[in-house]
Amino acid sequence: MSPAYCDGIDRRAFLRVGSLAGLSLAEILRLQSARAADPPARPAPPKKDINCIFVFLIGGMAHQDLWDPKPDSPAEIRGDFSPIKTAVPGLFVSDILPHVSGVTDSLAILRGLTHGDPDHTAGYHVMMTGAHPGFGGSFNRNKHDNNVHPSLGSMVAKVGGGNGSLPPYISVPNFLNSGGPAFLGASCAPFVIESDPASPEFSVRDIVLPEGVASDRSVRRQQALREVNRLEREAERISKTVQSADIFQEKAYNLMTSQRAKEAFDITRESEATRQAYGMTSLGQCCLLGRRLVEAGCRFVSVENGHWDTHRKNTMSLRELLVPSLDRGLAALVTDLKQRGLFDSTLVVVTTEFGRTPRINQMAGRDHWPQAFSIVMAGAGLKAGHVIGATDSQAAYVTDRPVTPPDMAATVLKILGIDPEIVVQTPAGRPVQLAGGGKPVFELF
Amino acid sequence: MRRYRQFQLVAATVLALSSASYAEESARTPQAPESPVSIVGLTVEPVEIVLHAASRQQQLLVTAKRADGKLFDVTRQAEIKLDGDAIAKLSGTTLVGQRDGLAVLTVSAGGQSVQKEVRVLGFDRYPPVHFALDIVPVLSKLGCNSGGCHGKASGQNGFKLSVFGFDPVADYDAIVKQARGRRVFPSSPIRSLILAKPSGGVPHGGGVRLARDSLDYQLFAEWVDQGMPVGDESAARLTGLRVSPQERELAPGGQQQILATALYSDGSQRDVSSAALYSGNAPQVAEVDARGLIRCGQAPGEAAVTVNYMGQVAAVQVQSPRTGGPSPYPELPVQNEIDSLVWAKLRKMGLVPSELADDAAFLRRSTLDCLGTLPTPSEVRAFLADTTIDKRAKWIDRLLARDEYADYWTLKWADILLVDREKLGERGAFELHRWLRQQFAANRPYDQWVRELITAAGDSSKSGPVNFYRAADTPDALARSVSQAFLGVRVECAQCHHHPFEKWSQEDYYSFAGFFNGLERKPIAKDRMLVFHAGYREMPIPDSSVKVSARGLDAPVSPRLTAADPRVVLAEWMTSPDNPWFARLVVNRLWKHYLGRGLVEAEDDLRSTNPPTNPVLLDDLARRLVESKFDLKAVMRLIMNSRTYQLSSRHTENNHDDEQNFSSYNVKRLPAEPLLDAISSVTGVPELFPGRPSGTPAIALWDNRLPSYFLEIFGRPERTSPCECARSSDPTMTQVLHLMNAPEVEAKVAHPSGKVAGLIESGATEEQIVEELCLAAIGRYPTPQHKAAARSLFASSSPREAAEDFLWTLLNSYDFLFIK
Repeated sequence: MSPAYCDGIDRRAFLRVGSLAGLSLAEILRLQSARAADPPARPAPPKKDINCIFVFLIGGMAHQDLWDPKPDSPAEIRGDFSPIKTAVPGLFVSDILPHVSGVTDSLAILRGLTHGDPDHTAGYHVMMTGAHPGFGGSFNRNKHDNNVHPSLGSMVAKVGGGNGSLPPYISVPNFLNSGGPAFLGASCAPFVIESDPASPEFSVRDIVLPEGVASDRSVRRQQALREVNRLEREAERISKTVQSADIFQEKAYNLMTSQRAKEAFDITRESEATRQAYGMTSLGQCCLLGRRLVEAGCRFVSVENGHWDTHRKNTMSLRELLVPSLDRGLAALVTDLKQRGLFDSTLVVVTTEFGRTPRINQMAGRDHWPQAFSIVMAGAGLKAGHVIGATDSQAAYVTDRPVTPPDMAATVLKILGIDPEIVVQTPAGRPVQLAGGGKPVFELF
Repeated sequence: MRRYRQFQLVAATVLALSSASYAEESARTPQAPESPVSIVGLTVEPVEIVLHAASRQQQLLVTAKRADGKLFDVTRQAEIKLDGDAIAKLSGTTLVGQRDGLAVLTVSAGGQSVQKEVRVLGFDRYPPVHFALDIVPVLSKLGCNSGGCHGKASGQNGFKLSVFGFDPVADYDAIVKQARGRRVFPSSPIRSLILAKPSGGVPHGGGVRLARDSLDYQLFAEWVDQGMPVGDESAARLTGLRVSPQERELAPGGQQQILATALYSDGSQRDVSSAALYSGNAPQVAEVDARGLIRCGQAPGEAAVTVNYMGQVAAVQVQSPRTGGPSPYPELPVQNEIDSLVWAKLRKMGLVPSELADDAAFLRRSTLDCLGTLPTPSEVRAFLADTTIDKRAKWIDRLLARDEYADYWTLKWADILLVDREKLGERGAFELHRWLRQQFAANRPYDQWVRELITAAGDSSKSGPVNFYRAADTPDALARSVSQAFLGVRVECAQCHHHPFEKWSQEDYYSFAGFFNGLERKPIAKDRMLVFHAGYREMPIPDSSVKVSARGLDAPVSPRLTAADPRVVLAEWMTSPDNPWFARLVVNRLWKHYLGRGLVEAEDDLRSTNPPTNPVLLDDLARRLVESKFDLKAVMRLIMNSRTYQLSSRHTENNHDDEQNFSSYNVKRLPAEPLLDAISSVTGVPELFPGRPSGTPAIALWDNRLPSYFLEIFGRPERTSPCECARSSDPTMTQVLHLMNAPEVEAKVAHPSGKVAGLIESGATEEQIVEELCLAAIGRYPTPQHKAAARSLFASSSPREAAEDFLWTLLNSYDFLFIK
């Protein structure tokens, strides 16, 4: 009913954006006119909705031990892993990525990520949102309010709109601290699954009827609710506040009653073979659930996966605890998306707050390193099978094609058909660009 | 090029007509759309039209006067003629000088005509360009130095400008000297990046912003050609900004051009209508575009348009009253002084208030607003049965005397004062919360407890208010939270640059922060701190050699600063009856709490460029607060007793799109804690909070971090920002799903010792059950809809199950979730 226009904002989203806090109509018009003046060199926006599975590895993924091996450097730098050949001649990844090595022809590896902040909270924030949170320097401060700029998923929920009965932005298995809507408001917050699809007891909170309430009983309840809300609904001059609640009640009811939505959440409908292919790990099953959700119309699924902060026993942690689930999960996701014809309409991102120090420390670990690190993108019709950017011989500094978090954010937004230069107002009335002023990584297009 | 249209003036309100919906409305007005309006006068501004070297263009403003004295803008409808294109040209409604000489301008509209002389001087050669006076304003207008682009702290693509051009020296350096000087190219000015990028000659992330045939492009080129002069040091300074009109009444759909004139120290003037920045505060009423053209929508109301030119700020206020309101305007009943002031405004806006809310709506609304608590079924029954005339006033007195009052208002202020257990520790949060509750329980005068809070010193484990100084712990953070929490002044913008919509400078900011300079916090033990002021010292402004004395905003430096703790000076200045913000802010907070919208929005953003929708009322409430010796309950009593507060939330045809003037009650969702308490009381099953006695209501919790999925998803704030906006009342799907399906909610509905179980065991009939549940949940007797819904439920299943289903229905209904 509402195709995306060439300006990247579909009409329904436009109305919603215009009517809620954040973007005023004037802002929208301004950004439309700004867009009209864009240089023609930019690639045309995608024709079809592209959805995103955004895997965030919390703690800081060791770039040199996975994506950017340095076999010629001294042992205390190169670590315990060796490079292996992959599907792309001349492209090497670490030997703890055997499954991924078979699908590198479908990946773009960005080795030149860089930002200056070694703090988890700031790194987390800047990589989820494209914008630095701005609070000053204290290292590893326990900062719970780590969401001053809207996360990418919330931007998609705000501007990109939804599709079908699923919420536009879903977070699994947990809420990502910096993954919130910040000043865009609660209507752009993710729908948080709060349950691990790898667990045998996996279920999505509150979308199924409570115990003791059979479906015929629920139908009676909903009928009664419609009856008592009827006057309010039919009233011409219904309050705007009630109106938005009404929208959510309708959406919630659609979600509860939509067979498609329920099936999307029901990971047990996958064959045992498919589930095993992704690996029966949290990360693997979250990737699989992510595929089910984007398949059913969700625009942005963020997957939270923890414990990548390998200050101690880096080799053991990566080899035995962390990388196998990523290796299987990512390879399976790429293969599965292709088999289902979803690969070109799905963007897969594997990202983290920063990389890890070139030199292995005294606890056989690596510490935080924001000067250079790697992330991976795949799908969405991007150029694949190549590496963008390079680091020096110690994987310490970017020597070619640096990509900043705002660039990363602009890239993701652009791929999803959203103009990264959209300007929104903070609560203090300060205009900021959605993607923090970054530029899309053109080599991907 | 310009098309000179034959001007046939019709009703002023129709001039700007563009939407079909308006046509219907105007058809109801006495003036038929086709009937010409007789114009009795026509004025053209500016009075004297002089184009000179530094002011090369002039926006015209043509104003017509109707027979009834009303003024309206006909700038874009008037016929404008100029004799001789050689001297000046018309570009739209702007005159652009061409060469020295005299021309005659003839402006005609509605049979009236005005002639004016246009003088063009000093165009024989381009005058010396002044960087700060000429170039920086263009950087602002084009958005180059905005916070979203090169003005942000890290700049953009290696090019950084000071935000809003507050630091021309640094900007000059960035343009002329940085990047190895390649941004300017004096031997071929148009190849300079500063011209090529924004005009599209070289790819520019910001797109094309500067047209090559524009005066601004010419200015940049001249500046580079002249060798990038900094400008004459003795050049006239910008001293002011004049706008015309300052106030104007507009019809729905009407337009108004703003004429903005910059004033300089040598008495010279420049037209900056196209160079100023415009922003409106009420887009639902009126929007303003980059040329300073205001367009009203169809909704009645007021808007203030802020005009900013290089830090000089002025405001244009427009009112757009409802047309076709009742005539004559009805006589409205008045319950107290508030109503007189609200009705006066409504009358001016052509709006008629809704009916008085019924008793049930009043009872539920006032109890929830004042106490965060539902009225009980017996209270509802008794109130509805009471036939005495003054029962609402008596109920308000009872509310203000109840214990929950202290709980609920402590909760509200604990949000504003950031009583966060994570930051203050358990002991600190508990002590500050307890102290706040004592203030509200005793209804201690607002100024007194604020003075005690601001000057608090001592051991954080023994003194509650001392912990305020742990929530914000630097002079910067304290300046921000104190100014916003108690004065409603968002001075924090001025930390790094001149406030874009206000007069506050960095010096004002650091002078204010200076009161907290020297405040010491010594840890005594875990979670304990000694807070004291070690003595006054001047406050340095970072990145400068300047030190400033502590002083309040717009206040002189006190001679007593060094005598004692300088915070005493601050507290006395803040809480003085003459302080222009202190009383106004708190009455605005109270007004917003009860009426759902502040007289100023956001409620803690008081500034001249964000005027109240009813300034007389705000002043009156503030005066009453001061006269009552800062008795907050006295103001609440006045508010709740007004008919304005007691209006129905049902809109009328006349007032349905009024958002500003309180012509009906604004519906709001129950906040998180009252909602959880309401569910507990309606189901008869208290919520258990870890470590708290059973029956502790959520509104009485001191610990904002107690794990509660319910409170989290319904918007309990984290208390990390002093803005009340941190408390979210936005609906989400998670909330809706939780109320519908959560096992926790269902367990309360179907609890074996809950409300439904008790009713069933007592042998209550269907009618009795439905009545009791309606009274408990929505504070009124069942409507035919409730009875019909219950009837089908009771017909389909056992009484127990049907009663549970009916209770579930009520808990999810808008009558329960909202305060109406």
